[in-house]
Amino acid sequence: MKHIFTGSAIISCLLGWSSTGQAHFGAIIPSDDIISQEDSKKLQIEIKFIHPLEMHYMDMTKPKQFGIFKGGKKTDLLPTLTEAKGKSPDQDKNFTLWKTEYQIKRPGDYTFYVEPTPYWEPAEDSFIVHYTKVCVNALGLEEGWDEPVGLETEIIPLSRPYGLWTNNIFTGQVLFKGKPVAGTEVEIEYLNESPGNPAIVKAPSDPYFTQVVKTDANGVFSYAMPRAGWWGFAALNEADWKLKKDGVEKGVEIGAVYWVHTADMK
Amino acid sequence: MRKHLVTLCLLSHFLLLCTTDLALAHKVSIFAYVEGTTVFTESYFPDGKVVESGLIEVFDKNNTKLVEGKTDNKGLFHFPLPKKEDLTIVINASMGHKNSFLLKASEM
Repeated sequence: MKHIFTGSAIISCLLGWSSTGQAHFGAIIPSDDIISQEDSKKLQIEIKFIHPLEMHYMDMTKPKQFGIFKGGKKTDLLPTLTEAKGKSPDQDKNFTLWKTEYQIKRPGDYTFYVEPTPYWEPAEDSFIVHYTKVCVNALGLEEGWDEPVGLETEIIPLSRPYGLWTNNIFTGQVLFKGKPVAGTEVEIEYLNESPGNPAIVKAPSDPYFTQVVKTDANGVFSYAMPRAGWWGFAALNEADWKLKKDGVEKGVEIGAVYWVHTADMK
Repeated sequence: MRKHLVTLCLLSHFLLLCTTDLALAHKVSIFAYVEGTTVFTESYFPDGKVVESGLIEVFDKNNTKLVEGKTDNKGLFHFPLPKKEDLTIVINASMGHKNSFLLKASEM
């Protein structure tokens, strides 16, 4: 009996250990980040909660907010979301994600944003809320990508967030309630399930899974992306509010997440 | 004479470089859509600056010019839908900045 307990404790420890090697990322992945005249104007969009490099999914309940920010205006798209299922090849059950289609009608920058429902993470004894954004450019008008949406925390791109080559540096500024956050950690991961990824990237040891950079005094960070595909940037902070889990107040990790796509120079 | 030729050559090379660079940095775009029986066009540069007094030409499938006009100070130009078939709408801004938009019959 004692052995069983020890065994299960060891397994829990191992699980706990491995989960620290994986960073959680809210994700909005569109079927394209640049819409040219000859492209389909209908975007397929997936909203999910994942470990991008390991391709692991977590269950995501319906987000609180989902919409587009364009020309200084928000458009609610929450009612367009439909539930879907997904998993990595090594996960043995399906997890919930959300999908939608969006018809691009006019030129300009379309910033998609999501505020998820708080996710309870027992391994961290904390809730997680990742305010996530991605920008899609349409028809040659490059206007609006650098404007804040006005989320509780968010990354403002200082590099134009589309048309990026592999090895380009992506620079962004982390805002919390509209103000820059100095000295905060930004976690970065490659989306292994990026369309066109020729081979699954394997991390030789734990620190390779998630790259970490810190913001400077102005809340600015930079990172050079060494592979073609989608890259997620998650700036993490502790919320100044709490949520209850089984009647007990728990902390909330709030993340400002931004996704960009890179392409190889050919 | 030779010196002049070299100078001229360098100058023209420099001008060529300048214009190429401008053309790339200031790529012009045109967008068109139909509302009712009117075709609306918008011509702009990537940063949102509009193309003023740009020449607009509209061609049908056989490359016959159907409409010609100039954009206003908001980069706009509209015209009655001349035909229900694929139309190529060309914007010709100054300094050889040119682009076109294929307005499909399915969008009319």
